[in-house]
Amino acid sequence: MLKGIITLLIFQFIGECISKLFELLVPGAVIGMVLLLVFLIIRKSSFKSLDNAVLIHLRYLPLLFIPAAMGIITQLDIISKEFLAISISLVFSTIIALAFSAKLMDYLTIHSENKK
Amino acid sequence: MNIDALTEYMTTTPLLWLLITLGSFKLGIIIYEKSNKNTLLQPIIVAYTFIMSALFISGVSYQEYFKSVEIIHFFLGPATVALALPLYNNLKHIKSLFIPIMITLFVAGISSILLAIFLLWIFGAELVTILSMTTKSITAPIAIITSEQIGAIPSLAVGFVIITGVIGALLGTAIFKILNIKYDTSKGFALGLISHGIGTARAMEISEKAAAFSALAMGLSGIVTAIFLPLIILFFQ
Repeated sequence: MLKGIITLLIFQFIGECISKLFELLVPGAVIGMVLLLVFLIIRKSSFKSLDNAVLIHLRYLPLLFIPAAMGIITQLDIISKEFLAISISLVFSTIIALAFSAKLMDYLTIHSENKK
Repeated sequence: MNIDALTEYMTTTPLLWLLITLGSFKLGIIIYEKSNKNTLLQPIIVAYTFIMSALFISGVSYQEYFKSVEIIHFFLGPATVALALPLYNNLKHIKSLFIPIMITLFVAGISSILLAIFLLWIFGAELVTILSMTTKSITAPIAIITSEQIGAIPSLAVGFVIITGVIGALLGTAIFKILNIKYDTSKGFALGLISHGIGTARAMEISEKAAAFSALAMGLSGIVTAIFLPLIILFFQ
């Protein structure tokens, strides 16, 4: 699995370097993700060691954002002050966006199949 | 016995908070599985509650806590890179419905962000809250690093991400039924696009096809949002 972990770290490192060098606003890790995707497309397959390294990172993914997520305890004043706005925005935008995305995708799929 | 030495060790070692964090998350997984994977009992929500209680009781500040568990935070980077693999594995599906996927990705993706921002704005929310809301539909690791980039509050952003995921997973199936959504590919794509990983977990219960399209949507929207959002925000500042 070491080869897989090294692969992930190398791509992140290259991504971060590119982001810094060209003063890009895109986070370095995302550039690394895109580069790994391109690498896999060119290589036409993944390899066992990378599969394992990815699995271990994604299996416990929610654990990895706990340190950042706990920062919420320093934001309690914003949350209590804007509780109504936040709740309404989250609930309604999620429901409407989900309905709209599914309906739009369905409509476009039917449309493109009719054309064929 | 040297109580002073013990206290000294307990307050300086990162091990104590690492153990509390890992233990709370493990407990969260156990409770989630015991509850038959109830969407409301996400492992991270249970872990949140335990760790928050521990922080309040001990009076340890967030900065001190973060320093102890920074090693966990580090792995967000490689984990983000790792997201390329599930995206690659599902990329073959993109060809079958290329035009519908691209239009839905951009049109629905952008309008969902605009709607959330608009609702916050009419209810008079602060700019920093609005910025933290813009990453609410993308997977948490990308949301965290992108929100840092655009001057939002990462912890608030993650909170919004998790709640958006839970709402989508809870109501998705009902919404699809009411709207008479025909294809599993549409259901999956919508779930992944709006409710990222938590939505993808729900899509797995619909069908394999729905799960594949959900993973595809989640990967694509993560990349597209991380690339364009900072540029758009820079343009308006």
